[in-house]
Amino acid sequence: MTPRDPALLQGEVRDLTQQYKDGGEAAAWAFQELVSLLLGLTVLHSSSHVYIAKGPAKGRFVLGHPDRPLRLNDQRFLRLTQSLYLDRAAMEPGGPRLKVLESSYQYQLDQRRENWVFRYDYLREPRSPYPYPRAHLQVRGTLKADVLAPGKGLRHVHFPTDRVSLEAVVRLLATEFDVPTNEDTGVWRPVLATSEELFRAIAHRPLSGPEM
Amino acid sequence: MSHNGPKLEAEREESAVGDAVVELSRDEIIEMIERGARARCNMSGAELVAAYRAGRLQDPGEVADLLMLADLLEDDDSFFDAA
Repeated sequence: MTPRDPALLQGEVRDLTQQYKDGGEAAAWAFQELVSLLLGLTVLHSSSHVYIAKGPAKGRFVLGHPDRPLRLNDQRFLRLTQSLYLDRAAMEPGGPRLKVLESSYQYQLDQRRENWVFRYDYLREPRSPYPYPRAHLQVRGTLKADVLAPGKGLRHVHFPTDRVSLEAVVRLLATEFDVPTNEDTGVWRPVLATSEELFRAIAHRPLSGPEM
Repeated sequence: MSHNGPKLEAEREESAVGDAVVELSRDEIIEMIERGARARCNMSGAELVAAYRAGRLQDPGEVADLLMLADLLEDDDSFFDAA
């Protein structure tokens, strides 16, 4: 199969990014397309799809099917969930700006959510007292040193991170967890780099811990 | 691909914006939250969301998929008063 042209794909990423930056409901569809593109070039199994859900609340969307974690090429799963909203206090040419309220990227062994490996979480504005870093990593593993309080396991530790992009998680899966990719590195690396650079230019970056 | 729970009605209908968009009714959203909360946390969906909003959940990330579903409900939905 002929590899896809990274330059064309980078152009597609720029177009989709601009579409979601333009705001309005179309921004949500463009965002879904962008995520589908990035995952489709890389770790997503051909049988899986990136869904976006809408409900009664206007201007709110959830990326990721609630009952279907994404099947990856290693036959494991990525529970990708993002809560999106149109911020009517921030207007763009196409309408209210699309923002991420929360995101969660969880790599798991199977469709059962308790068999997870690691999870990156991000919250823009916690609704309630939230004692953890608003962007953090958790790992379901075992510490060799006995340094945690009784009953507290490594999985309960919230390691503070900066806002971790989907692109970073995809690279982690592909390079450290050896999830096969649908295109060669010469195709997807420049595409992820372009996408991530555009994202970082506008991404909200929370503090590493609670303010109160 | 198998999934837990009944196929959503909205998915059977043709969507004007493509197969990737799932339009969920209030009842469908609440049913999914309820089913997930019972199976994974041994509590009702309303209790789960109330616990999260009161800062009483030890690991909200483990049920982030359920909690974000609640974001699709109107802010004044009676579901949030049910716990």
